[in-house]
Amino acid sequence: MNRKLNPLLIASVAATMAPIVAHAKIYVSVEQAQKILIPNKPLVKNPIIITDELQDKMRSASSIRHPFQGDRIWKASDGSWFIVDEVVGKHEMITYAVALSPLGAVTGIEILEYVESYGYEVAEAQWRKQFVGKTAADPIKLNQDIQNIGGATLSCKHLTDGVKRVAVLYDIALKNQSQAPKAK
Amino acid sequence: MIRCKPLLGTFVEISTEDGEHSLHAIEMAFNAIEQVQSLMGFHDPDSELSQINARSHLEPIRIHSWTTEVLTIAKEIHIESKGIFNCGIGHHLVEAGLLPRHVRMDTRLFGGIEDLEFIEANCVRSQVPLCLDLGGIAKGYAVDKAVEVLVDHGIHTGSVNAGGDMRVFGDRVQDIQIRNPSKPHELIQIGGMKVGAIATSSLYFARRDAETKSFMVNPLNQEHIEFLESYSVVASECVYADALTKVVSISGNDQHPCLSHFSAQAIKIPSTFIA
Repeated sequence: MNRKLNPLLIASVAATMAPIVAHAKIYVSVEQAQKILIPNKPLVKNPIIITDELQDKMRSASSIRHPFQGDRIWKASDGSWFIVDEVVGKHEMITYAVALSPLGAVTGIEILEYVESYGYEVAEAQWRKQFVGKTAADPIKLNQDIQNIGGATLSCKHLTDGVKRVAVLYDIALKNQSQAPKAK
Repeated sequence: MIRCKPLLGTFVEISTEDGEHSLHAIEMAFNAIEQVQSLMGFHDPDSELSQINARSHLEPIRIHSWTTEVLTIAKEIHIESKGIFNCGIGHHLVEAGLLPRHVRMDTRLFGGIEDLEFIEANCVRSQVPLCLDLGGIAKGYAVDKAVEVLVDHGIHTGSVNAGGDMRVFGDRVQDIQIRNPSKPHELIQIGGMKVGAIATSSLYFARRDAETKSFMVNPLNQEHIEFLESYSVVASECVYADALTKVVSISGNDQHPCLSHFSAQAIKIPSTFIA
């Protein structure tokens, strides 16, 4: 048996011992965001397999390194799209939703969750993992009740990069699907 | 309900205690903020601000009443602060790569907010080229507009927070935290507020990119300034809180006489603060 220590285990132990101070805010659920961004239109889940080539193109267009997950894509009856994605920066992780018109124009952006940390902790995959997919119903020990945080402005540049990669996703993988019914 | 959108180059949160039925009110409040952004954004070459910067020295420019209001307040604070607050520093931020370049001009020719003249209520011109940046005031104004919309839609209690510049309203005291400038992930509980605004000026997030210059420029000597502490200003309206943080942080004076003129108060958190 391999007696070497599992590096992932070390990472998780270190993460629990480090004095992490994170602010996590959960704003709206995926369902609420769907109603906000594409009101009164039923959405059908439309997962896409993200090929390595597509992943590479999205990466080079946006400078976001962590992989895009293709299972959070929905399509509306009129051809609009609803996509959920995450951007992970050195200091924060943001889950957001983008709505695209049938022609691929961004019609709305909504932040679902914002997890903030400072320093190296957020770069640790294990640390990040504990927040992925959490909802307001989960008993995560974060300062959720803290609402009114003042301070210097946090830039939304990372998020802009995220939206860029969603635009690339549309161009390469969704556009053809949008136009497919017309071709018939 | 609490929602958050990327606007004004930051994250804008709008929260209300009125449940799901406040959805429409929140949507309208975000629309107001988007309108401020499209009127007064430096990045957008079609904004009214960009029109002023491109052509106000050539011809009169007609502007929206909201732009008029922000420019009027900017001129007022410029006078009361004896020039410490001046929006006419956009070209320095362009030179530093912090703002996009729309026009190429000799930077020595640019005037300040004092050179902007109102010909009529909603019409301005200037004798010299201008490169105004409303980054230090329009965010606060946008927060005020959003609060106005929420109140008009019958929302009783809520808050609008544009990346740290915020305003609260209602009949419940809301806790206010500000970041510790030496450890920005640590929050300092500075008190509670029922009705009012607080804005903060500090450079801790700007220093994340070591190579870039500070986005704070002292209009009096035209130099980028650096400081480690944090300055917050409490005022009844966020537009004043936002603009006055520049007066106290540039002067380093949290007792600046300009504050009492606008019934505002400053809170300085030293860089050596330990929670």
